[in-house]
Amino acid sequence: MYNLKDMAVDYSTLAVGQEVSNRSFTLDADTVRKYVDAVGDATARTGKTAIPKVPPMAVAALGLRGALDELGIPSGALHAGQDAAFAGPVEVGARLTCRATVSRNSVRRRSRFVGIALSVEDETGREVMTGTTTLIMPDEAA
Amino acid sequence: MWEAGARLARVVKPITQRRIADYAEASGDFNPIHLDDEFAAGAQFGRTIAHGMLVAASISEMMSASFGLDWRSSGRLKLRFKAPVFPGDTVTAFGEVKEVAGADVVCAVGVRRQTGEDAITGEARVTLRREP
Repeated sequence: MYNLKDMAVDYSTLAVGQEVSNRSFTLDADTVRKYVDAVGDATARTGKTAIPKVPPMAVAALGLRGALDELGIPSGALHAGQDAAFAGPVEVGARLTCRATVSRNSVRRRSRFVGIALSVEDETGREVMTGTTTLIMPDEAA
Repeated sequence: MWEAGARLARVVKPITQRRIADYAEASGDFNPIHLDDEFAAGAQFGRTIAHGMLVAASISEMMSASFGLDWRSSGRLKLRFKAPVFPGDTVTAFGEVKEVAGADVVCAVGVRRQTGEDAITGEARVTLRREP
């Protein structure tokens, strides 16, 4: 992996298999609460003051953050597809490590499609989520 | 007990610019196509759009409501974002069981705008701890 942060990324040079992010973060109650409030997930709310359950998609969304930061995804990029597999409940307070690699880099009809494969592990090394995000880059970044 | 043809309880969400801004804060995705009217006016859709993952969260909520811990333990999603969702839209997550094979339940899922347009289509799979 080379450090992509703060570099102007030439997306055409991203190679399939290239690691673009490897970050750890703690899934604290405030982060989860903000996510649950934003998406309005009624199944995650356990009471007015109780700590919410962690929605599986929160792990995907927050896990993707590192890759988006490191790649400096350009303004106007669009989300074209999302695959995800959840391998077990994640609890508030979990320490997660998210590894993102390039899974696709191709041009179709003058648009560049970049795929990012994400693997999220908890502190025990158990893989709790895997997924692939497909982005369409704006024309000027293609 | 799940069987082919069963429909999942729908989840309906109003999408507001406030919700989009809150999602940006929560997820760290500050792409101006979601937040900046001036930037979005010059982009593909001419106005701000909701994050795909914000809209997709309603599918996961629907699956959690239907399958509970099984969804969190074994859920698999394959989604394609077909059309943008705009502030002011109301979206409905929908799902129908397509196949039950042993403990595995396969559902066709999606999110539809109030216009009838599908914003997201895809498939969700879940493995039940007890076979149906």
